[in-house]
Amino acid sequence: MFLTRSEYDRGVNTFSPEGRLFQVEYAIEAIKLGSTTVGVRTPDGVVLAVEKRVQSPLLESSSIEKIMEIDTHLGCAMSGLTADARTMIDHARVTAQNHAFTYDERIKVESVTQAVCDLALRFGESVHDEEAMMSRPFGVALLIAGVDELGPQLYHTDPSGTFMRYNAKAIGSGSEAAQSELQDKWHKQMTLLEAQKLALRVLKQVMEEKLDHHNVQLAQVTPQKGFAILDEVQLKEIIDAM
Amino acid sequence: MIMPDMDSLAHPQERRFNPYTENGGTILAIAGADFSVIAGDTRQSEGYSIQTRYAPKVFRLTDRAVLAVNGFAADGNMFVKKVKQRLEWYHHAHAKDMPLRAIARLIQTMLYARRFFPYYVYNILGGIEEDGTGAVYSFDPVGSYEREACRAAGAAQSLVQPFLDNQIYFKNQEAAQGTSHPSHLPLETVLSIVIDSFTSATERHIEVGDGLEIFIALSKGRTLQGMESIRGLQELTVTEDGERLFVMRRDLKKD
Amino acid sequence: MNSILQRYSGSNAGGLSKSTIDEDNDFSDAMWGSEAGFGTLAKGVPGFVVPSVPDPAAFLRLHTDDHADPSCRIKIQHGTTTLAFRFQGGVIVAVDSRATAGSYVASGTVKKVIEINPYLLGTMAGGAADCQYWETYLGMHCRLHELRNRERISVSAASKYLSNLVYSYKGMGLSMGTMICGWDKTGPAVFYVDSDGTRLKGDLFSVGSGSTFAYGVLDQGYRWDLTDEEAQELGRRSIYAAGHRDAFSGNTCNLYHVKEDGWKFIGNYDITKLHYEGPGDVAGSPGHGYGYDMRVEGRSSANPPEAPAQA
Repeated sequence: MFLTRSEYDRGVNTFSPEGRLFQVEYAIEAIKLGSTTVGVRTPDGVVLAVEKRVQSPLLESSSIEKIMEIDTHLGCAMSGLTADARTMIDHARVTAQNHAFTYDERIKVESVTQAVCDLALRFGESVHDEEAMMSRPFGVALLIAGVDELGPQLYHTDPSGTFMRYNAKAIGSGSEAAQSELQDKWHKQMTLLEAQKLALRVLKQVMEEKLDHHNVQLAQVTPQKGFAILDEVQLKEIIDAM
Repeated sequence: MIMPDMDSLAHPQERRFNPYTENGGTILAIAGADFSVIAGDTRQSEGYSIQTRYAPKVFRLTDRAVLAVNGFAADGNMFVKKVKQRLEWYHHAHAKDMPLRAIARLIQTMLYARRFFPYYVYNILGGIEEDGTGAVYSFDPVGSYEREACRAAGAAQSLVQPFLDNQIYFKNQEAAQGTSHPSHLPLETVLSIVIDSFTSATERHIEVGDGLEIFIALSKGRTLQGMESIRGLQELTVTEDGERLFVMRRDLKKD
Repeated sequence: MNSILQRYSGSNAGGLSKSTIDEDNDFSDAMWGSEAGFGTLAKGVPGFVVPSVPDPAAFLRLHTDDHADPSCRIKIQHGTTTLAFRFQGGVIVAVDSRATAGSYVASGTVKKVIEINPYLLGTMAGGAADCQYWETYLGMHCRLHELRNRERISVSAASKYLSNLVYSYKGMGLSMGTMICGWDKTGPAVFYVDSDGTRLKGDLFSVGSGSTFAYGVLDQGYRWDLTDEEAQELGRRSIYAAGHRDAFSGNTCNLYHVKEDGWKFIGNYDITKLHYEGPGDVAGSPGHGYGYDMRVEGRSSANPPEAPAQA
């Protein structure tokens, strides 16, 4: 098995005879090494929650940034090679701002997701004689949360450039257990608070450390207030209410 | 042996790149509370000769947006073509019709992209906003724009606009004791103002005449009240939400 | 020129496209394919089309400069009075609303204050489209700065961004004279930026054909310790003076006040009304018209006061 692979897993744009792109598949594997990230959609807004792995007591946990703002109505949580995510999120921000500049309106959640995925697919691509812009696929998956005229939405993107809309989605190392828990507990008429508690409860189950307000981060996108990362006080309240 | 033309050598000649001409005509748009009217004459002329008596200057862009273009006809037609192309692409990318204010901003960016080689075109965009109100946007040739209640542009702008200022904005009119001027006029009144504007402009401006095309965009849920008696009214489109677009045509004097 | 622009704009500002006459280069074919219609978006502003003549700026001047040739075809809107000043209570921004094309009043309702974002205002003098377009564009980059750096852009940085941008088009025929006003960590700030590339920090500026008239009133009444009401009144009164004496300015006055928590629109005032009745029931109002013929009623040459009785 490994031998047949090694023939075809060198080039990023070479299919194997079975029709697989190994480098893309390996990139998807990289996400499973990342910390667990959860997104939950409700009629009142979308909740994003991430586990912050604090590897050392000397590490400033506040410097770990795994949820980022794309625009006032769009947020994003990541799992995998977070450095790659910065490139993708900057692209998403520029796309969102360019859309606002050209059309004087907020970009739709699906449209930014599409734009990010277009970028994800541009590895190994070279224009004319120029060097390829990216030499390998991104090693990161994103949960893109947002609100537009179609209401609150949650999208998942992966290194293959595929995106799908979810009611609730978990990615990262604990994603399998987390996803089945979400499948059990998610229901249509969840309130935002229920979603926040669900997201944290799911994280708690898959985390090795004890969950507290230092090692998780919670954010939400609501129609009223847009994107906001919850501060420690708000986070503590929800943890206590759990 | 051919002798050089001594005459042309004797005088210095100046050649300048002049890709523009002026094709006359006038356009006009008025916004109501829940409708918008966009109109233009159909004469196209160059200098003192009339090239055609039917060259449309008003175009349907979407079910809720109509664009009127005036100035240099070739630039205008090309510009409308490019706007329609962008609207199509937007529809494919975002799975919806472009809202009116988005079209307005798009037109600004498209005009400004030609800042150093301008389209010689004055644009007026009319239609229904997402909130259901009637709207008019007017543009200068390089893209500065503004939302207004009414606007005239083209050859007879300076004849028509003062009339609109008086009849639509009630400029220099004192309301009768105990009353105030309405902020929006009913469709019937607006249509007769539009027709009067063009018949008068036809009388006093040589580049205006032949035919009149009036587009009427109605907000959803608005009844046809005030339109019952209109002769030759043609319905172009109805959206799922119920916004409707009509066109009516009238003759103008042909001399 | 392109390289400068790209350096200053994350998203490839509208550099002049290389093959300038080929219109299809406005939009890459990526619009159809992998960028799913985001072709121009990813590139930012579409590249500018320039006529393929030896001197494009002369071409543009020939067809658009109505000062040199009143019969030129494309009339770009001009003529203005704008002012902004810094004082103890923030920044006052006041402008008129008239746009002229030649001697025709093209509009009396122009918004010459551009709301870049809730903390920044730009004013419009010169080419209306130039100001509107580039200041909106500036707004987009201020927002990106905010997202990338997790703090608001300073007024100084924003104005420098704009001045670098327009400087890269120097000689091409852009026309703008603007004041970028806001409140940042350093307090209230006003920067003057124009299309020649000038960028000045200062307390008090007025720009446009009516600026001399506005300065006359403004300089007389200006103090750092003006109250909010006095400052707003000074702004209104200065624009009124320009509207009254400059034929290219007039119609209405738009007044804004920038404070620590962002700008606030104070009001729109009809300049004719200011002349006869004053601003009405607002803070700082003198309670009567600004026009001197109102003030000298009964003491004018036509209607002089009775001469004191001879001794």
